[in-house]
Amino acid sequence: METDILVIGAGPAGSTAAKHAALAGVSVIVMDKKSEIGAPKRCAEGVSKEGVEKLGIKPSERWIAKEATGVRMVSPNGTAVNLTEDKVKLPEAGYILERKIFDKYMAMDAGRAGAKIMVKTLATGMRREDDQVVVTAESMGQELEIKTKIVIAADGPESRVGRWAGLKTALKPKIMESCAQFEMAGVQMAEPDCIEFHFGSVAPGGYAWIFPKGDDIANVGLGVLTTITDKSAYEHLLKFVENNPATKNAQPVELNIGGDPVGGLLKKKVTDNVLVTGDAAGMVNPLTGGGIISGMMGGRIAAQIAAQAVSDGDYSQKNLKIYEKLCEEELGESFKKYLKAKDYLLSLSDEELDTIAEAFQDSDFETINTAEMVRKLVKISPKALLKLGKLF
Amino acid sequence: MIVKEWCMYCGECAGVCPRNLIEVRETRLNFNEEECKDCKICIQVCPVQALEKRDD
Ligand SMILES: Cc1cc2nc3c(=O)[nH]c(=O)nc-3n(C[C@H](O)[C@H](O)[C@H](O)COP(=O)(O)OP(=O)(O)OC[C@H]3O[C@@H](n4cnc5c(N)ncnc54)[C@H](O)[C@@H]3O)c2cc1C
Ligand code: SF4
Ligand code: SF4
Repeated sequence: METDILVIGAGPAGSTAAKHAALAGVSVIVMDKKSEIGAPKRCAEGVSKEGVEKLGIKPSERWIAKEATGVRMVSPNGTAVNLTEDKVKLPEAGYILERKIFDKYMAMDAGRAGAKIMVKTLATGMRREDDQVVVTAESMGQELEIKTKIVIAADGPESRVGRWAGLKTALKPKIMESCAQFEMAGVQMAEPDCIEFHFGSVAPGGYAWIFPKGDDIANVGLGVLTTITDKSAYEHLLKFVENNPATKNAQPVELNIGGDPVGGLLKKKVTDNVLVTGDAAGMVNPLTGGGIISGMMGGRIAAQIAAQAVSDGDYSQKNLKIYEKLCEEELGESFKKYLKAKDYLLSLSDEELDTIAEAFQDSDFETINTAEMVRKLVKISPKALLKLGKLF
Repeated sequence: MIVKEWCMYCGECAGVCPRNLIEVRETRLNFNEEECKDCKICIQVCPVQALEKRDD
């Protein structure tokens, strides 16, 4: 088999890459080891409306479970700070998706644009041949070889494909959130239209979340850094569900687990014939762990650069390198700020988080400005402010 | 490596293996045991503690 571009992984990043490469007029194959694209889900399913719009995707009620118009931040003692969607720009605030349907829809769009889709097809290795690449794969008991000019590695947090090409996509445990989540029914949320974040020792190195999907249905999960806790993410989740007033009487209908790379953009994302995108390239907001929209942005850029390289007849690292600059501009700059914010958040003790939440719970975020926020912080917790100062 | 029955093939272990030794299939994990340096990072990150080092 031969193609211009082979995309490995049909998650949001891979399908977006496949669609845009096909639209650019080159031949595209996209493969995924899953028998059903999008399942099982490994996600809390929150995306921003702005992100969906920026990608030029028409929102569809088929894949939107619910609109979430606000954000509720909860400190360890249960103090909540409520923000409206327009006051806080987070990649998860806006729509709660039905990812099993969304991912399939994105793949269908790629297919309609002209990409050939191969399901239940696992890439098993890669070798260079002349100025091209041969990817070995297995599909329903058959061994395949696909010769391609360019590989777009969109294989998610496993990120094995980039490593076959010599890129350092392996993740250290200190930047990989270990996540566990139940989709639950019978959840009694204080603000059913808000996505909810819980900070502090409830999820060491990360946070817990409750994202509403319907009247009493929600994704209830958390991410932890296993470098700072002896318990598994699943054990932390059981404790969170048991102790939280909203979930203690709820019942799970699904268990989801997975890794979320939160260390920021991978520095080197290209080599000869290969571009890495999505989670595999660290295209995840380091503060929130949200990577759907950013991965799709990355996938779109990868497609444009790869398609251009095919028409240039030059698949060298040198010709693909511009991808790194464009990703840095689109995602990298903001990720650096989010990384600092995350470091700050994780440096706070439960007591400090409670004090801050108590001071800000009645704030009018319509009118409060940064100077006022800092003044408040000086008053309530000079130590917390000092930690903030050290980071910026 | 012993893979417990409750492994959910999420691939987090594969993402952190510094030697890229874990192949995650839809319902199976394959370890390249010969190259394994026994660093146990894969065991550490598993969200459901589904891995255990085999006693040789
Ligand atoms: C618990 C949890 C909650 C999250 N919540 C949110 C959220 O609310 N909002 C948000 O924006 N992000 C969230 N994320 C992150 C989000 O899920 C990812 O950023 C997003 O899925 C990345 O898309 P991707 O296409 O890069 O990778 P993936 O979606 O992981 O897709 C990669 C695909 O590659 C396939 N694949 C891998 N290896 C091979 C191979 N060798 N051969 C063939 N196919 C292969 C896989 O089967 C998979 O389908 C969450 C993550 C977790 C773990
Ligand atoms: S991290 Fe755990 S559950 Fe996930 S694939 Fe590895 S062993 Fe299985
Ligand atoms: S023990 Fe270390 S080297 Fe061996 S498979 Fe696990 S992560 Fe890889």
